[in-house]
Amino acid sequence: MKTIEFWISLVGAILVAFIIAIWVPGDPKDKVAHAIEYGGLIIVFLFGFMILAGIASGKIDISRILEEKSNGDSKASMSRFQLLIFTFVIALSLFLIVVNRTTEFPDIPTNVLLLLGISATTYGVSKGIQAGATSESDDEEKAGEGAEKK
Amino acid sequence: MLSPSTLASWEGLILIGGLIGIVVWKMMTGEISLEQLFEGETRARDGTRSSDVSGGRVQVFLVTVFVALYYLMQVIHNPKEFPEVPTSVVGVLAGSHAVYLGGKARAMLLSRFRNFLK
Repeated sequence: MKTIEFWISLVGAILVAFIIAIWVPGDPKDKVAHAIEYGGLIIVFLFGFMILAGIASGKIDISRILEEKSNGDSKASMSRFQLLIFTFVIALSLFLIVVNRTTEFPDIPTNVLLLLGISATTYGVSKGIQAGATSESDDEEKAGEGAEKK
Repeated sequence: MLSPSTLASWEGLILIGGLIGIVVWKMMTGEISLEQLFEGETRARDGTRSSDVSGGRVQVFLVTVFVALYYLMQVIHNPKEFPEVPTSVVGVLAGSHAVYLGGKARAMLLSRFRNFLK
């Protein structure tokens, strides 16, 4: 990794872990556990935040996330849009459920998997149709160019 | 000091909420283009292409938004476990997507099929 943000995140997380391990009072076993927990949480957060900051600033370009090439020009794709909506809804739901449960990780019912499956399959099939149509128009263009040369 | 689980909850909220917020913001400002979202391409017999508002796209958009909101409401209502989605809702979603894909395939691949039959 060449970015300075990566190293700042890494050093920051290690620093927090050391501070907990050295200065926070308590049983050494608990301190080790807390140092790893907080260090891990901080590094995961900072890595996530780096990506978010990159997206927000435009350094990571997501402007074409919904675009699909069609006949040379790009337009927004409904299959990508619905997949994005479902991904956000399921991610948000999973987060809310995990936060509100204090015991074990929740079971994911078959219907939820089915919803995501339908959504992702639609995207895949749509892409296949698009690719089929694009290859056909390419063939037509080549045939046209060949006829002109003759 | 915040407990690790509380800290993890806040981090998750910031990261997931932030990502959704940024994507929605970029859509609203036009940085993520939604141009021609409802427009479907059709091919005439002579091979010329044209785009027009597609009923299939509009219905798939409405059904998707409805199912997504329905699901989110169920989760907000009882955030202890994943809600059971009725089979009828899954069926409606699957049917809607099938109609959309069928329409798209017909519009884009029908001329190829015609050429194949010639």
